[in-house]
Amino acid sequence: MFSDEEISVFFDELEEKIQVLNENILILEREGESQDALQEIFRAAHTIKGSSAVMGYEKMVSLTHDMENLFDQMRKGLLPVSGQLVDTLFMALDTLQMLRDEIVGKDVSVDIEQVAARLKQCREAGPATPAPDAPADAGLAEPGPASAGFNGALEAVDEEVIHAAALKGYQAYGVTVELDSGCQMKSVRAFLVFETLQQLGEVIKSEPAAEDIQEGRFGKSFQAVLLTKEDPDRVRNLLMTVSEVVRADLSQIVLTNGMEAPKQAEPGAQAEKPERPAGGEHAGTKTVQTVRVDVQRLDTLMNLVGELVIDRTRLNRFAEIFAGRFGAGSGELVDTLNEISSHLGQVTGDLHEHIMKARMLPVAQVFSRFPRMVRDLAQKMNKEINFIVEGHETELDRNVIEIIGDPLIHLIRNAVDHGIEGPEERAGLGKPGAGTLKLRASYMENHIIITVQDDGRGLDPGRLRARAVEKGLLDREAAGLMPDREAMDLIFMPGFSTAAAVSDLSGRGVGMDIVRNQIENINGTVDISSALGVGTTFTIKLPLTLAIVRALMVELGAEQFAFPLANVVETITVQSGAVKKVKHNEVIVVRGHILPLVRLSEIFERAGGGEKKRLFVVVLGVGEKKIGVIVDRLLGEMEIVIKSLGDYLGKVPCLSGATILGDGQVALIIDVRSLVREIGIEETVYAAG
Amino acid sequence: MAKGEQGLGGREDQLVIFQLSEQTYGIDIASVYEIIRMETITMVPRTPDFVEGVINLRGRIIPVIDLSKRFNLACSDRTNSSRIIIVDVGGNTIGMIVDAVSEVLRVPLDSIEPPPPMVHGIDAAYLRGIAILDSRLIILLNLEKVLFEREKNELQELTLETA
Repeated sequence: MFSDEEISVFFDELEEKIQVLNENILILEREGESQDALQEIFRAAHTIKGSSAVMGYEKMVSLTHDMENLFDQMRKGLLPVSGQLVDTLFMALDTLQMLRDEIVGKDVSVDIEQVAARLKQCREAGPATPAPDAPADAGLAEPGPASAGFNGALEAVDEEVIHAAALKGYQAYGVTVELDSGCQMKSVRAFLVFETLQQLGEVIKSEPAAEDIQEGRFGKSFQAVLLTKEDPDRVRNLLMTVSEVVRADLSQIVLTNGMEAPKQAEPGAQAEKPERPAGGEHAGTKTVQTVRVDVQRLDTLMNLVGELVIDRTRLNRFAEIFAGRFGAGSGELVDTLNEISSHLGQVTGDLHEHIMKARMLPVAQVFSRFPRMVRDLAQKMNKEINFIVEGHETELDRNVIEIIGDPLIHLIRNAVDHGIEGPEERAGLGKPGAGTLKLRASYMENHIIITVQDDGRGLDPGRLRARAVEKGLLDREAAGLMPDREAMDLIFMPGFSTAAAVSDLSGRGVGMDIVRNQIENINGTVDISSALGVGTTFTIKLPLTLAIVRALMVELGAEQFAFPLANVVETITVQSGAVKKVKHNEVIVVRGHILPLVRLSEIFERAGGGEKKRLFVVVLGVGEKKIGVIVDRLLGEMEIVIKSLGDYLGKVPCLSGATILGDGQVALIIDVRSLVREIGIEETVYAAG
Repeated sequence: MAKGEQGLGGREDQLVIFQLSEQTYGIDIASVYEIIRMETITMVPRTPDFVEGVINLRGRIIPVIDLSKRFNLACSDRTNSSRIIIVDVGGNTIGMIVDAVSEVLRVPLDSIEPPPPMVHGIDAAYLRGIAILDSRLIILLNLEKVLFEREKNELQELTLETA
């Protein structure tokens, strides 16, 4: 028997490989026979076959064996990619997924006969004789004729970089590295070559793209553009120290009138014909190597860091006592002690930050399942959809990632189902037959923005209003007065669904209100913008992590409080004379607007720092509503880790949790939403009285 | 220390013994997570009176209650011997401030008697019993009740007030 750990590794790998298969089959469908994709597919299927055989899952072995045979034929060019073939492959993948479920004990019994039959059918449909000029192994395409320097196209951006670097004394070289043809670990060697190059200078471009190289997707040689001050001979010698590098050539790149004219640094330099153009980005700077780590382990690490922080505080205190007891005579010792303590503090801080980052995952985790979903949906609906995904590499806390999956599925389904029109309708409107659906993730300050954008029919504010009235969510008069912008937001109301007929895709009783709820639960927001006939865009704004926020730290009496920055509009200082009374409430006038004021000391029934001439006011905003909170002192911004106050205290009004400060003390985090709401209530009460 | 009481095959309880307002109390050692010295407690506003605040216990935020306030006993000053007993009850980790922690005792089950209706101003509902040991009177607390019975109501009231 295998240990749980081994089984879970197997499943992780299986999941990953199924995903690889999914993605690459989609590429095949889109681009026809792509050798790169076929290589990937073949490798993934082979891995699954191998590991499931080790684990003894017979059905899985048999299915992947059939698939592998098919892939092999495709790879050899014996079998053209067809719609039917792709469908069969997807069916096989789904079966594979079901087999997985069967193994983990979900109550399903999977029959692979049917799929096996279809796979066989596909295989036999291929020509009996091999195509004459199909390469035996396309991944190892023969190098092209020898030429010099760097063959990939240098873009204007690169040339600018080279030019700028030249002014600082850096030389640009085209580096060609050739590996031994029998090299088994191309990716590892390539990685070492890149490491070496990066120690010597800056790699600004490579051919093929760095990721491809580091995953071993190149022939026996590859090229890079290196900016360095080092002597080319030294670079060459260092590169030759990497095992299985059989040749390393450098030729200087000299730009003339923006034209690339490589000057031979050495005769006979060999280069390879690029397999595919590199992207415009500065490739080669990113090296991703990963290990799987149990999240539990990260949590434990996190707690251990917490303990370190405490010990550091104790050390600090001890240093003080020590200094006090032994006085001036021990000056040097005290200094040393303080030095150690402050360094320990720094290291602990860094450690903390990095462990936090280790909990982040790229959104690709969720995004990767969508292309397949969109394809299936589109096929079912007879729509053509060009699905574009951008920014997979954007990282988010794993908790957030787990939660955003469902809302995104819903938005994407909606876009395919209701947003994008059928091909005929689109043709009639003068739009391209294939609709475009774009899913994009990016960073913005300390948030991540995810947009789901379609070029479909857009939302009709008139219809939305009518619908809301019809559903009794709005009376006719209010609907008439409602601006278009607000009418869009109607779709987020509970019980609102615009589809005339509930299709089997979207509208399974989950409305947009749920989507909004799910997103707001993790402190995110969702906005909609739409133009009739042009398309709809949903913009989701999420915190990078649920656990850390940037906060404004303030002092009240001897204690610190944290205001999450997301809700802090600004901080101002006012003279106490500027505070006016309106009924029972204190207000100030800020740039012509009246701002209600509250004192933190009153809200928390705490003795504040007494009356002062200058007051520090934190202006908080939730939606359109703003209030000012008077505090004793502003301490500045910091990143805090949110911790719950625990079940025992439950939900404490106006507090959302606590955080541990650098010195081990606890500071409470203010729940701005509930604070603003509470002040709102008081105001109305006063107004009524 | 309590060796004399052992033996005779009688079953016994192991208790953590502490002082509160000049009385001796005992709680089951199994529910005690650890005992720490007094440290800075961050007050949490708008919580019941006996909730003293929260502390940082190696990266965990732990609520701390003042046991004498909990029982409406005369509040004693914090001294060098004051301790926070960290207990684990029903999945919650909670700190309780006591005047001093003296020892761990083994108490034979047959020396534990049911509590009288009222002991030193504490309702019998919060007690497990009274142990008499070497002419000492030890009040055994029912932590589950002490920690959760009234708080729940009070905390609920709080939530209702602000809802």
